Amino acid sequence: MSPLLEAQSLSKRYGRDWVIRGLDFRLEPGEVVALLGPNGVGKTTLLRLLAGLMRASGGRVARQGRVGLLANPPAFHRHFTGEENLSYALRLEGRSPQPGAIAAALQAVGLPPGKAVLGYSSGMKKRLAMARLRLQRPDIWLLDEPEAALDAQGRELLEALILEAKSAGGVVLATHDRGWVQRLATRTLELSPAV
Amino acid sequence: MTLLTRIFWLALRDLTLELRGRTGLLAAVFFLFTMLLILGLALGPNQDDLRKAAPGVLWVALAFAGSLLAGRAFGLEVEDNTLDDLLLVPGSREWLYYGKLLFQLLLLLIVGGALLFLTAGLFYLPLSALPGILVTLVLGSIGYASVSTFYAGMLARLRGREALLPLVLFPVVVPVVLASVKATASLVEGLPLGEVFNWWQLLLVFDVIYVTLCGLLFPYVLEG
Repeated sequence: MSPLLEAQSLSKRYGRDWVIRGLDFRLEPGEVVALLGPNGVGKTTLLRLLAGLMRASGGRVARQGRVGLLANPPAFHRHFTGEENLSYALRLEGRSPQPGAIAAALQAVGLPPGKAVLGYSSGMKKRLAMARLRLQRPDIWLLDEPEAALDAQGRELLEALILEAKSAGGVVLATHDRGWVQRLATRTLELSPAV
Repeated sequence: MTLLTRIFWLALRDLTLELRGRTGLLAAVFFLFTMLLILGLALGPNQDDLRKAAPGVLWVALAFAGSLLAGRAFGLEVEDNTLDDLLLVPGSREWLYYGKLLFQLLLLLIVGGALLFLTAGLFYLPLSALPGILVTLVLGSIGYASVSTFYAGMLARLRGREALLPLVLFPVVVPVVLASVKATASLVEGLPLGEVFNWWQLLLVFDVIYVTLCGLLFPYVLEG
């Protein structure tokens, strides 16, 4: 089976400082890979390189399938409601949301309908991002510190989402919470400062 | 079909956001109104003088308002940090340019329509010239918006983009603004339509070149 993601000799530097140097990485279907390491080691940079949102300084990334990203913090248009944000996200992909699908997705993550994102807390935005990913159904799920700002119930929802993502494709997630991720990850990748 | 649908939804989404936020559009309309009023007072009260100045005033005002509005195309994404979500949409990224271009064009036409209405009243534009000026407005706005959208995307992630945008934009849109002024002046002076057609053809050529070239180059300027 071909990998969902394959990075070869991947490198990234900001100015003279290397953040990632010569990294080889594969994500197979059904895998949950946890990226671990201290602040500033390049976890978010690696996720953005894997997503194709950033030009690498060297090496290449091959993707088999659609990429979905849960950013930290997640971004939404604040003058839109949660429904409107989800509806436009689907429509811009050329898909028409099924009647009731968006309301059901919001309900599943415990968000109230009709509220502008301007009034959302950080945890609510995380939940909305989870609902968006569930509706988008990507093959490659990239999650940047997904557990941050979530309460206990939010973490349960997140764990269910990760299991769902694992069966739909593969997951790469960056986190600082080793204890939490041990239960979910099929593999961990410890990043250390590049030299 | 999917591409056209995406372009439509992006333009509609941005227009809805802009109308809800209101800041960009209101600032441009207020700026235009003040500018026209000052120029009208400075150049008037002779009707012939005002009519002669009208084409230049109209397009200078629209060019300045356009530079104010140019940043809105990607300002909406930068303010809410949502550009990455658009870049993650599967497929080529040209649709993003054309969606933003359509949004920018709609903004310019809304502002341009208001501007034309005000200029006609304050600068005694002949009513018979208005349909022709509307055509010029559409052709000139397409050329202007195609370049401004391209540069707005290129500078979207840079600090000081508001100051940089007019600097890079104006040298490239000068031919469009000049051709638009000439076409409008020909219409106001009541010259034969054949003469106006020459300027319209020139504008059309600029529009086709700018829209095609900017659309092709856009995916490369957006990469981080």
